[in-house]
Amino acid sequence: MSTPTNAELVARWKAEPAPLLPLLHAFHDRDGHLSDEALREVSAALRMPLADLFGTVSFYHHFARFPPGASAPRVCTGPVCRLLGGEELLDAMRKHGATPMACAGRCDEPVPVLTAHDVHVGLAADALERRPSPLPVPNPGGLPECVFESIREPGRATLDGYRRSGGYEALSAALGGSPDAVIDALKDSGLAGRGGAGFPTGVKWRAVADETRGPKTIVCNADEGEPGCFKDRVLMDHDPHAVLEGMALAGFATGAATGFIYLRYEYPETHAILERAIAEAEAAGMLGDAIGGTTFAFRIHVRRGAGAYICGEEGSLLNSLEGKHPFPRERPPFPVSHGYDDLPTVVNNVETLASVPPIVRRGGDWYRGLGLGDHAGTKLISLSGDIERPGNYEVPIGLPLRTLLHDWAGGAPGGRLIQAVTMAGISGGFLAGDDLEVTLDEPSVRAAHSMLGAGGIMVFDDTRDMVAVAHSCMEFFAHESCGKCFPCRIGTQRLTERLATAAGAAGPAQLGDWRAEVEDIGAVMKATSACGLGMAAPLVTESLLRYWPERVAAHVASRAT
Amino acid sequence: MSVIEDRTTAELQIDGETVVFSPVETLLAVARRHRREVPTLCYDPRLDPFGGCRLCVVELEGVRNPVASCARAAEPGMVVRTHGEALDKHRKTLLEMVCSENRQIDVEPLSGYASQELAELADRYQARTGRFQGRQSGKSKQDDDNPFILRDYDQCISCYRCVRVCAEQEGDYAISVKNRGFDTQITVEFDGLLKDSSCTFCGQCVQTCPTGALADRKALRAVDLPGEVVKTRTICTYCGVGCSVDALTKGDKLVGIQPAMDGPANQGALCIKGQYAFDFVQHEDRLSTPLMRGDDGELHPASWDDALDRAAQGFLDARDKHGRHSVYAVASGRAPHEAAYTTQRFIRAGFWTNHIDNCSRA
Ligand SMILES: Cc1cc2nc3c(=O)[nH]c(=O)nc-3n(C[C@H](O)[C@H](O)[C@H](O)COP(=O)(O)O)c2cc1C
Ligand code: SF4
Ligand code: SF4
Ligand code: SF4
Ligand code: FES
Repeated sequence: MSTPTNAELVARWKAEPAPLLPLLHAFHDRDGHLSDEALREVSAALRMPLADLFGTVSFYHHFARFPPGASAPRVCTGPVCRLLGGEELLDAMRKHGATPMACAGRCDEPVPVLTAHDVHVGLAADALERRPSPLPVPNPGGLPECVFESIREPGRATLDGYRRSGGYEALSAALGGSPDAVIDALKDSGLAGRGGAGFPTGVKWRAVADETRGPKTIVCNADEGEPGCFKDRVLMDHDPHAVLEGMALAGFATGAATGFIYLRYEYPETHAILERAIAEAEAAGMLGDAIGGTTFAFRIHVRRGAGAYICGEEGSLLNSLEGKHPFPRERPPFPVSHGYDDLPTVVNNVETLASVPPIVRRGGDWYRGLGLGDHAGTKLISLSGDIERPGNYEVPIGLPLRTLLHDWAGGAPGGRLIQAVTMAGISGGFLAGDDLEVTLDEPSVRAAHSMLGAGGIMVFDDTRDMVAVAHSCMEFFAHESCGKCFPCRIGTQRLTERLATAAGAAGPAQLGDWRAEVEDIGAVMKATSACGLGMAAPLVTESLLRYWPERVAAHVASRAT
Repeated sequence: MSVIEDRTTAELQIDGETVVFSPVETLLAVARRHRREVPTLCYDPRLDPFGGCRLCVVELEGVRNPVASCARAAEPGMVVRTHGEALDKHRKTLLEMVCSENRQIDVEPLSGYASQELAELADRYQARTGRFQGRQSGKSKQDDDNPFILRDYDQCISCYRCVRVCAEQEGDYAISVKNRGFDTQITVEFDGLLKDSSCTFCGQCVQTCPTGALADRKALRAVDLPGEVVKTRTICTYCGVGCSVDALTKGDKLVGIQPAMDGPANQGALCIKGQYAFDFVQHEDRLSTPLMRGDDGELHPASWDDALDRAAQGFLDARDKHGRHSVYAVASGRAPHEAAYTTQRFIRAGFWTNHIDNCSRA
């Protein structure tokens, strides 16, 4: 295969929807980095100011401007990989040009190492291997499931396998009825956004359906950048058609003909799986024109991100798709009226969309009934860290956290005690002590000053230094802060400096002053930040001060000497 | 309901006072119109709302967190509080935080039109406490030695006003943002010099910068000159647009130009000529009396009468030798109507030719 020319790359992508990211990736894949010449080509082809392009490319962690670029390994140094030895692995691989990367969404496996389009996992540089993402174990509570119900069926990731276990029946049935019927089923089900914010999905779709402007767009948020979250990956890897069918149902229900899957850079195999599934579905007439013999047409495009947690925030994601600088947008207006290209858009998480086909097939009441007590439905939890059986679990909403930790996942290894867990990845800060008695639903977790969010839970046993853990969490937020707003851009930096022990430490030597600064920064971030990143980050320091005041005192004292 | 009715009935409450607003206004605009001192640093009324500094946050009944008033459209029935203990505390903390990322807070007023904004707010909210010490952000571009724009990014607070004014107001798209978070850096293509970018040196970024991170290098030449800076409103003398400017003087020396934000023709915009090309005014080479070339081939001071006679004779000679179309006049765009009219009469009636133009026809 001969190397494509600049002109061929431009011709391939120029007329496609949302062309900037794939065109940049095309150059990045060909050359291993984005040269000045590549940026000039892209700038001219897409009529984008060179200064903007230059700045925007630098926003994305994985776009390299110089060799060795994409071919140099990136080693995960996220909070769980640090427990596993990610930093030691990174040091061992530095001679191969390795650099660190933030949590790569494989916390239930050994440390991931990303090179161009490959991910290997392992604990030693000479013992890295490729592995498919682990399938979830059968539900340990023997409880009925929604998105995991059929995921363990052999061949489920193929069109045939998917159809054998009921796949595309929901879409076929829906096409024979009205769009409103789909939305009504969702409203009955009580399904709420599984990407973190928990907005009722039926209400969102109703709002987009009611918009008169168009064309409308469906965006599947597969950025999954939250540390400790790897649930969307298992869905896409082992049940990709469920996500596609959910998107097509969203298109039918709201009147959209185009869908995008915005996929995080760190999931290259998932990219291939999705592209194959889309091709299969198109060939079978379940995507494309005249779906199921009707007039409904729907196409899905995968767009690969380039390393920026903030691009999971929906405004930032939309800006990124549109080729703009990926700052979050001011809200209101919301994407339902002003989304992709400023037109009505559904943005939904992978898990949310994958829940839709079973709900449409079996009815809203069925799904609602899966929850415990008054709670509706189920939630995927990604469990990792100091836990006997890490992995993804589908829990009924309202399940006691302790049931999941101890009965389902075997507790901390080696008979140690669980000191703390994170919530919402790291966006909910820590829970410890009596607060580990929460049930897994938003009201209960919020009463403990945290949130369930996207459902990532990292476990830390009683040997772990929670100040160090808090530092690595805050370092992540500082690394990923987009820089748009003052409270977060400066606040995440200052909090990181205050949690640091040696390199980069700064802040008052007196405990009282230290606390006052950390609390004032936290308060202003929570109240005034422009998006959820800045609002959530101080939950880390807040919960650290709540549960471990004496550890904090020792930390400040140790820095004063 | 008619639009007019709409307008007069659109009411909301600010700090307990019921006020009327027009449908396109933001909460910040309504608040300022009613003399509320809502602080801002990323706001420039000429630009699209951005929502970066978060100093403008106000409390909105029914909404959990304070909202950025610069980016929130006013709606009927809103109940808004622009001040209060919590808001003032947040604003002070934000200002203390932003002060902590810079080398200094006080900067020379000659730096630019908006250069005192940070210092003034730091005083108003008593934010010079030295709290929140840590790494500083922004790195000055010392190798950019262009004569107009100082790029002292050590002083930058990432408000993006320069980036936005360059794109939205000028359409130049020369300035952009590199990196993210605390590593954010204002830059141009390939981190280069302004002269190698699409910058037109209009100076708009300088004039909107609230910290002096971008500063007027020409005006700063006069830092050590004795005397107060005096501003005098006038009109740019270069072209027919007629931009309003404030001439900055120290003593009887013209030291700089700043755009007039309320200038009817320019609303704060200027081009490189109006902004920077003022040295000619007091230049030693500038003519202050007519000169006529003598038999010795050199120029000598002369009276206006003699000079005008000489010029008239020159025109007549040219016409007699080369015909009436050998004469061509371009009237100055800065000249008043009467002078422009007289010029075309002079050419048309005086020489019987239509070779007359005006420099602002472009
Ligand atoms: C900093 C930040 C990061 C986010 N990252 C993700 C993400 O990776 N995936 C996701 O689905 N939602 C993410 N969200 C939430 C989205 O903004 C949005 O609420 C969600 O995609 C809507 O889909 P849902 O209603 O199905 O949850 C993030 C939000 C914030 C503030
Ligand atoms: S809170 Fe942080 S990530 Fe969100 S807009 Fe502000 S700076 Fe960007
Ligand atoms: S240089 Fe000035 S105007 Fe530009 S971002 Fe920095 S502080 Fe704001
Ligand atoms: S020369 Fe430039 S600054 Fe002067 S009036 Fe014309 S446009 Fe305005
Ligand atoms: S003026 Fe509103 S955020 Fe800066």
